[in-house]
Amino acid sequence: MKIESDNIDPSKEKATPETSVEKTNIPRSSLKTLFFDFIKFGLFTFGGGWSIVAQMQKIYVEERKEISSQELLDLTSVGRSLPGTMIGNIAVLFGYSRQGVPGSLICLFGMVLPPFLVLLVVASCYTAFRSNYWVASAMSGIRCAVVPIIISAAFNMVKGAFKFKPCYLITLVCVILYLVFDVNCVYLVILGAVCGILISEIYERRRGD
Amino acid sequence: MDQFITVLQLYWSFLKIGFTSFGGLSMIPLITSEMLGHGWMVASEISDIVAIAEMTPGPLGLNCATFAGLKAAGLIGSAAANLGALTPSFTLCLVGAVFFEKFKRSTIMQKILVGVRPACIAMVIGVICTLSMSNYVTAAGISPVAIIISIVDITLLRFAKLGIPTVIIISAVIGILVYGVLGI
Repeated sequence: MKIESDNIDPSKEKATPETSVEKTNIPRSSLKTLFFDFIKFGLFTFGGGWSIVAQMQKIYVEERKEISSQELLDLTSVGRSLPGTMIGNIAVLFGYSRQGVPGSLICLFGMVLPPFLVLLVVASCYTAFRSNYWVASAMSGIRCAVVPIIISAAFNMVKGAFKFKPCYLITLVCVILYLVFDVNCVYLVILGAVCGILISEIYERRRGD
Repeated sequence: MDQFITVLQLYWSFLKIGFTSFGGLSMIPLITSEMLGHGWMVASEISDIVAIAEMTPGPLGLNCATFAGLKAAGLIGSAAANLGALTPSFTLCLVGAVFFEKFKRSTIMQKILVGVRPACIAMVIGVICTLSMSNYVTAAGISPVAIIISIVDITLLRFAKLGIPTVIIISAVIGILVYGVLGI
């Protein structure tokens, strides 16, 4: 975070993660660790971007306790609502939060490398690959793992995601909008943001009374 | 020279795709029109690549980029197409990351996140539902074998506390045994 520290307003010192109270004694993953972590994530990311979130939940939240599940949710929401591939965005956001700009580039590069190399090989013999009986059987097995992986991560991500009771309502409404009305995720995030401000204000005033 | 122009065109096409899409299957119509427009692929190849992209690790958009680039201009084309598709991540999203890290602890951002987190949980639930529909419900109805394998997987993840890569490898082996050897 050296890049930021020169021009930061001292009154907003909390904005630099380094000074955050709750994680002063937890070391951030080094560039090298990040690179190898993301190579592994890239290699085992099946069924869309959400399984990388599941892998990050497992490694960084549960094992190393480097970030909280709320922080991971925050990164996911931001990454999902910006254009581009979701996991590229999440890699950049997470890498930046750990090691600044070099971290973000290392995470992005590490994550992209394995799929790129795998596909180069597969593309050269793709008709054989596509129609291979054993590959298809293995893939049918892997497809069964995708939903359990995401469900398992979701169990842990739910913790602390609902600060006030009406937050459950936001989830319910958003699920309906997403599944029934096919509403784009960007609008769901914006809706959540507006509701978040409203709910927080209401609860703050009530406490004030 | 021709190859150089193709490489630039690939970069530009995937740059457009990257900036105008939000990942996943929403990229397919854009990719289709770009690929057919430039004559880099024919329609049947696009459905092939979607199938391949789902079989190999990595996001769909990047896998399409690798494949299309390779077909149109070889290895360099492939790298250029990937770079194009990733440009939004290391430009726009990097700027987003700088701002987010700066303001994530501010009062207003904390209030916003109170509502955004439940919305994000909703997206996870939505994705679980859509993926379940495509993974467990086939033309022949609900697949009990797939559901049993998934229950095994969730037990391994939650109770045996195995890592995700291990579970994926175990599932591939189960797949080979159940679908391949037994022929279910």
